[in-house]
Amino acid sequence: MGGGVTQATVLVLGLDNSGKSSLLNALRPPEQRASLTVPTVAHKQDQFQSGGVSFSAWDVSGASRMRALWERHYRYANAVIFVVDAADHLRLVVAREELELMLAHPDMFGRRVPLLVLANKSDASHALSATHVAAALGLERIADKPWHICACSALTGSGLADGIAWLARQLREQRSNK
Amino acid sequence: MGGMSRWLDVVVGTDDIDINTLPSNIALVDLQNDNEFKLVVGDLGRGEESPRLKIFKGAMQISDISLPDLPLGVVSLYTSETSPRSTPLIAVAFSTCVYIYRNFKLFYKYYLPTVELNASEMEVWNKLTDPANHNEETILALTETLHNMPQKILSIQSRDFLAMTLEQQLEFLENSTDLPKKRDREIACITTLRMSSVDRYSVSCVVVGTEDGEIIVLDPQTFTQICLVKLCTVKKTPYQMVATGLYNVDYRITVATREKCVCLIKREWKEGRLLFSTEEHVVAIEVLTADSSIMVICTDNTLASYSKKGKRQWLVNLEHRPVAMTLVPILHLGVTLVAVALASGHLHLYDGKARRDSMFLRDVVSVMKFGQLGQEEHVFIIVTSNGNLLLKILKRTADFNPHAAGIELTGAPVAQKPWLIPKKSKLFLEQSVRERETAVAMHESFQHELNRLRLLAAKTLLEAHTKSDNFIGAGVMEPIRLSAEVEGLGPVFRVTLQVENTSADKAVVGLSVLFNVHSTNYKVYNPYIKVPLLGPGNQIKFPTKIEEIFSENINPDVFFRNVTGQAGEGSLIKVLLLKEGRPNPVLAATVTMPPTDPLMIPYDKIQSSGFGQSDK
Repeated sequence: MGGGVTQATVLVLGLDNSGKSSLLNALRPPEQRASLTVPTVAHKQDQFQSGGVSFSAWDVSGASRMRALWERHYRYANAVIFVVDAADHLRLVVAREELELMLAHPDMFGRRVPLLVLANKSDASHALSATHVAAALGLERIADKPWHICACSALTGSGLADGIAWLARQLREQRSNK
Repeated sequence: MGGMSRWLDVVVGTDDIDINTLPSNIALVDLQNDNEFKLVVGDLGRGEESPRLKIFKGAMQISDISLPDLPLGVVSLYTSETSPRSTPLIAVAFSTCVYIYRNFKLFYKYYLPTVELNASEMEVWNKLTDPANHNEETILALTETLHNMPQKILSIQSRDFLAMTLEQQLEFLENSTDLPKKRDREIACITTLRMSSVDRYSVSCVVVGTEDGEIIVLDPQTFTQICLVKLCTVKKTPYQMVATGLYNVDYRITVATREKCVCLIKREWKEGRLLFSTEEHVVAIEVLTADSSIMVICTDNTLASYSKKGKRQWLVNLEHRPVAMTLVPILHLGVTLVAVALASGHLHLYDGKARRDSMFLRDVVSVMKFGQLGQEEHVFIIVTSNGNLLLKILKRTADFNPHAAGIELTGAPVAQKPWLIPKKSKLFLEQSVRERETAVAMHESFQHELNRLRLLAAKTLLEAHTKSDNFIGAGVMEPIRLSAEVEGLGPVFRVTLQVENTSADKAVVGLSVLFNVHSTNYKVYNPYIKVPLLGPGNQIKFPTKIEEIFSENINPDVFFRNVTGQAGEGSLIKVLLLKEGRPNPVLAATVTMPPTDPLMIPYDKIQSSGFGQSDK
């Protein structure tokens, strides 16, 4: 890599309405932000830079009938951002199920792909804390991947930088070890 | 359950949830029009607690409204089709009225029309209100008369009066001199019926079933009665209704009654009809939308399916007493399952009579419902008899195929329906006897006739073929007819040629059609057509496209041609019918093409002619 900017493909997963597109929107420079996000159909690609890593983010649709398409992207993903709506208590089990399916997929299983879980909508009332979300998703059982969870809000942007910085650090370390 | 389960259990904080409700008192409503469905429960209250309307977001109670009386049914409906969508109304039925809530606020109260008191009760009250009769003996005697009348026809005042002690009765009569003029109808059950569209957000009307066995349909805008139908000639009391179809088109209201039977009301019926009776009391009914078949669970531990005509299709014996039933439509799998909860705490899902899934809940179900809650489409909402709320979400990967893993097949695979075999008639018996006795002769004569038929067919074909060879050579062309018709406005027309062989016994081979265009004004897409063998009396049509070509310097006169007339000299097309091996055409026809409609002339041609500019 020669000490230049590291390139990484990051897959942004999560249930519908968990805030994946809003999150990528918040990562853009302020002048490029869209004022309104609409539900993503199929997938969209986005670029952003952080901590010396140039991310190419795949934002895939989280609608239940589209989730079967997630696995198409697993093979070339260098990192995964899993977005959870911390205020949607009802569907935490669904998020857990989808996360487990993803981790058990042959294209993912055993690969040391950094997994960043974002407990989004932390500003909403009744939102669960990051620890609660981690417990509800059973993150402590993940052994084959480095993972990190942080509470964030795609609307205000709080907590986002922390998570992305962790992801960038992980990716840089992996590259330098090779 | 383990890893094989098709359902995800939602962790519900059970400490503060205590629901005491009825199957009809639960609804899933998109209350705020944000596609986030809330659970609306009409809670009967428990002990000291008064009845309340509770709103749940997921498993979290977010709001409640105090109710004036015990709720009998909770339904949600849209009453106008405006854009953006108005919020849905919630209708709550009480004993004699329906309260309509909009945005959690009481919006309208509908009282059922009253009925006249029956004569004998009126007479008793006339005597009771007379001060001369206010002594113990007469009151006791009159109370006895009231007591002997059937409870159902008595007014509320009479019933209250009967429940009083003698002193209270005397005091009551001292204080009030009013006669109970009319008796209120009482609501037994409530449901909704879509008006004119099956859309999820289309306008619905409220349907109310009364204790007197009447079904009343209310107008969605004004909440006035638009239809009142008696359930059955014999008095039946409804307690669960399922309305399918559309009020303005065609509808069916299937009604379970307390008299061990199910009745049906259809559009334009003056009176409902008895559909079928069951041996034991009906616990719940559901109607499958696919074929209008009716699923019934009864207290004799059975689940049965009846056709829409009321004929029993099958019956399954259940291990325990069924307590609740709901439909589980799973659209992306294309199945509608029927969930049946048993008193043993088991919950079974049936597809037809085959059991597809089983769950053990460790608690007896009181009410259950399947539908969209929050943003999740497939949520099973279960209220247990202890007042707990269980939520189960169907896994995205769940499959209810009979071959899918994790299903224990129950019972022997038996035929779904008995074969429809007609009764053996005398004619049939005689025929079968004959067939047994003279089997060989019958077979031989059949084979003989079959061979004769085959021979005849072969002969006719051969004859037609041999004759076709010398057909043209004889120089007779009358049997062939050629006609053409032109369709279209242009510039592309469709010319359909029709070649007909009018001869009774001769076939024609080796024919072909050639188009001869007089000028370069027309382009024929398929100028040479080979005609296949044309049997006697047959005709073949050949549609061909012909396009009128406009030159670059178009003559403005073209725009003023009469559309119905003819395009002039250059518009003739010759059609020649050729026979193989002959130098001259055997038939020729001329088709006169109509002029192209000026409106259909390609735009770029109009531009180049400068016609458009001259207009300005």
